[in-house]
Amino acid sequence: MRPGMMTICRTSIYFMLTSIVFSTLLLSGCKDTKKRPVMRIGYMNCNNEQETMQRFLPLTRYLSEKLDVEFVAVPVDTHDFEKRFRDGEFTFTHTNSLIYIILRENYKLGLIASDKRGNFGARTGGAIIARKGSGITKLSDIRGKRMVFGPMLAPTGYLAEYDLMLRSGIDPEKDLAYYAIPSGSYKHEKLVYGVLFGQYDVAAAPLLDLEVMTREGKIAPDDFVILAQTPIIPYCTFGADSKTDPKLIDKFRQALLDLKPSDTVEINGERIKVLKAAWADGYEELLDSDYNIIRDMARRVNMPPYQKY
Amino acid sequence: MNLRDRHFWIILATGALLGTLGVLLAVWGNPENSGICVSCFIENSAGALGFHDNPRMQYLRPELIGFVLGAAVSAIAAREFRSRGGSAPLPRLVSGIFLMVGCAVFIGCPIKLFLRLTAGDLTAAAGVIGLVAGVWAGLRGLSNGVELGTHQREQGGSGLLVPAFFALLLLFLIFRPGFVLSSDKGSAAQYAPRAISLGVGLLLGAVAQRSRFCITGSVRDAMLMGLRSYMPWGFLAFCGAAVMFNIGTGRFHPGMFGQPGSHPDHIWSFLGMGLVGWISVIIGGCPFRQLIKAGEGDADAGLVVLGMFIGGALVQSWGIAATAAGVSFYGKVAVLAGFTFLLATSLLCRERIA
Amino acid sequence: MFKDRFDRLLWLLLAVAITALLILLGTHSPGGGNDHSATGLNKALEREMAYQARVALLQKLYAPVENLCKSGDLQGALFRLDELARTYPGEAHSHILKGEILHQLGAREEAIASYVQGIKLSGDYIDKKSPLSRHDDIRRLVDEGLKEIGGRAKANPGNASLAAAMKNVYYLQSRLAGGCE
Repeated sequence: MRPGMMTICRTSIYFMLTSIVFSTLLLSGCKDTKKRPVMRIGYMNCNNEQETMQRFLPLTRYLSEKLDVEFVAVPVDTHDFEKRFRDGEFTFTHTNSLIYIILRENYKLGLIASDKRGNFGARTGGAIIARKGSGITKLSDIRGKRMVFGPMLAPTGYLAEYDLMLRSGIDPEKDLAYYAIPSGSYKHEKLVYGVLFGQYDVAAAPLLDLEVMTREGKIAPDDFVILAQTPIIPYCTFGADSKTDPKLIDKFRQALLDLKPSDTVEINGERIKVLKAAWADGYEELLDSDYNIIRDMARRVNMPPYQKY
Repeated sequence: MNLRDRHFWIILATGALLGTLGVLLAVWGNPENSGICVSCFIENSAGALGFHDNPRMQYLRPELIGFVLGAAVSAIAAREFRSRGGSAPLPRLVSGIFLMVGCAVFIGCPIKLFLRLTAGDLTAAAGVIGLVAGVWAGLRGLSNGVELGTHQREQGGSGLLVPAFFALLLLFLIFRPGFVLSSDKGSAAQYAPRAISLGVGLLLGAVAQRSRFCITGSVRDAMLMGLRSYMPWGFLAFCGAAVMFNIGTGRFHPGMFGQPGSHPDHIWSFLGMGLVGWISVIIGGCPFRQLIKAGEGDADAGLVVLGMFIGGALVQSWGIAATAAGVSFYGKVAVLAGFTFLLATSLLCRERIA
Repeated sequence: MFKDRFDRLLWLLLAVAITALLILLGTHSPGGGNDHSATGLNKALEREMAYQARVALLQKLYAPVENLCKSGDLQGALFRLDELARTYPGEAHSHILKGEILHQLGAREEAIASYVQGIKLSGDYIDKKSPLSRHDDIRRLVDEGLKEIGGRAKANPGNASLAAAMKNVYYLQSRLAGGCE
């Protein structure tokens, strides 16, 4: 071969090699999202679907980035949760602690981590409150009065207070004038306002809602009197289907525990703080035995999953 | 090892006294596991003189004054007081600062390191390994020509200045002028009776001057000569006495957790003491030995002592000192800056064989 | 050092300087005239007064919280404390009181975390003799923590949250033991 031809061949080979290397480098920067497995997280609605998605889309995106799994957020109404989980609509769950117990007892749901929020961290409690100046100053005064509860499946809006009343010798079914549960959304706030504005005499108010409403200036601590307070119980909880890969569950848990208040994700071109959006101060790894207190309450109150007909 | 050599028994006695009194000073009122801690004492004294404003760390430690003046009196009595110095003054001053950085990040000087260990504080183990590693590194440096230079006999009385300064501190201790601060809370509010502290300091200063005892020197000699050298025996006497008195006074609590004046950042304990060990070999002695040498008229050691006072002020003012919660960001930066200084000095002050 | 006139002059001036110094120190009486040493003495007094004033202010500010605690309205005390914490963020007293209340309400881990935050800000609460001392309460909490949380942590060695809770317990235990802080 002539020297000139050899030079051209050498140059071509160098050019091809450079192109291959350059292309490989370029393409390796691209995330091949098509290959990521898709999994769904069912988030229990507190008030409505829009609020749920606003709260949990950033967290879902964060988890996708951390675990290299395409997580899809699915908002689910509280009363539909068990059925839709049983039907296999989602692998991971985010629910209140009573729903967690129901799914655990009936379907062996695995415990991942619990939300931390407010003064009690990963726990919270309930209170029975009355308006200050109403003349109701102790728990026994509520006999014959009008009471408002939160939703029936709310651990600190119904279960804990109902249990507290039973243990104090007050039967809500017999000893009250009547009790009601507000309709529609924002039930927790409605029951607090219901007492403050005189529609009801007493309310079963979650401590966390009282704390948040006080902080937001919606109510003042001097507006009401706490007649009794329940023991503190675990707050909202992440769970996983029993058939889920244990390694993935561990990674999911670690991603939650590693979250810091400054962590952000990009949603529609906007950087959003994950914890702030999720209304959480962080996550904590509780033990399943920490939920026994709720199990005992549910048995005493004859609530699912221990109800007897 | 010659059992008939008086010097051997002086070293043994020094070690035993240091261990015994190190424990007893804590029994008599000094902070737990800090019966003798040169770095803590310097931080407290710097605070007393107004060099920093941590209200929990301001007290003019009589032991410190005793070490220097005891050494001075002993040196004068034995006609060993010699004003000498002039070897790399600024590097020595800065070395003093970084000695304090290393001690503050570990929370203790080499004496306190072993007082903690002999009280059962297993978190000190990382510091021991660090100190040994640092001494080894320093020896490697020396054997490869790193040297700050030798001092010369000085015409002037520069070696008198540091003992004179501590004599002034003694006057402050006795007359207590208003500008000398004294904490009423925190660890600086824990102290043995002044007379006892001063007496112990004078005694230890004198015997340490006679024996040339040094913790890092013991480690160095053990590496170079094993137990043929006397110094390691003094060190063993120190540890043995400390263990005995800790057990006897009910202060022996073995464990990793809940130990007074300790933190769980073992890597930084290792690095802090590593820095101290390395510097100590380069400058010729641990913080305690520097105080003794300063009392003997060694102006180079005097500069190290002044550097330690500056360091004592800085570690408190700049948040370098570690706490039970761990080592701060600034503490970590300061330790790494110390190693940078040490390595740069080793490069610049090295005699290379052509 | 006595070789010539200049040496003798230097010795004479040295003697004069030392004599003048001794006379000055000997005849000085604190509090007279343009006296900066009186300021030095006052510094210690001023510091003590500022500290006592701070303690009195804290007791006044947080009195409503303490009164609610005494009357048994712990949750009300917690709400009041939240309000004060928003006004005085970073105040150690707030964390300490929160720790006390949470302990009484059964939230042991959160109580320990609050105490840790408070003590990191101010070591006065761990000192036995300080007017703000909570030494005995913290000792009790640490003993409970070692037993209860320690037991659960031992049974669940992989649990990161329990390990973090134990780290807080060990921190309090270490501070109770003393040391140079």
